[in-house]
Amino acid sequence: MRMDASRTEPGTGGGHPDGIGGGPGRMLVACYALFALAAGARAGVQIATRFEQAPLAYLLSALAAAVYLLLAVALIRGARRTALWALGFELAGVLVVGTASLLAPGAFPDETVWSDYGRGYVFIPLFLPLVGLYWLRRGRR
Amino acid sequence: MNQAVATAVIAGSLVLAVASLIGAVRNRAMGMVLLIGFCVLEVALIVQTVLVVVAHVGGEGPADAVTLYGYLIGSLLVPPAGVLLALAERSRWGTAVLILAGFAVAVMTGRLLQVWQGVT
Repeated sequence: MRMDASRTEPGTGGGHPDGIGGGPGRMLVACYALFALAAGARAGVQIATRFEQAPLAYLLSALAAAVYLLLAVALIRGARRTALWALGFELAGVLVVGTASLLAPGAFPDETVWSDYGRGYVFIPLFLPLVGLYWLRRGRR
Repeated sequence: MNQAVATAVIAGSLVLAVASLIGAVRNRAMGMVLLIGFCVLEVALIVQTVLVVVAHVGGEGPADAVTLYGYLIGSLLVPPAGVLLALAERSRWGTAVLILAGFAVAVMTGRLLQVWQGVT
């Protein structure tokens, strides 16, 4: 027995006029949601248990997580401008914090998602915004 | 923490990830096999969570309870979220989401084992 296509939730993804959250975009939604969970849960644990050790690093991780979540929601809802801003923010974050963490390691006693251009997360934080920007530009036409 | 259950969860989630990869490559939307597979995985994760919580309350495991519970709760969220996305996206890309979900559960369970053994 195959799943019936009518199970598809109305109003999401494919049928959306600006379907940036459907098709391959759904994979991006999953990636960003997973990163929101990974970075957010980690930052939450760090802030709850040892905030005083590296407040800047932990707050940046929490901010990155919040923007990943915003990005996932923006893609699902087809909010292209919000998604573009969030992607730009993630890219700027990984470039600025990545560079800063290499130049001034002392400012980041503990790792953030963006430290060393996301090395702790196999550089995925560097590639995800680029893939997202490519997807949004490609979907424009 | 029950190593056998954790090993089964990791192996099962990796098998589901590979099955999802095959489905996505063959251009298939999520079928009943993957749907049931991820439901079974979720049940296994719930069993594992109960076992870990019981053992931890009994005084076993790491002092760092917050990270432990973070991974437990986080891993419980992944299969339902993946399946919901795959139900909403009835194409190969919905199946591709499940590759990510299966892989994520495997990694998170591996980290859970490490946290349990005191690795941070």
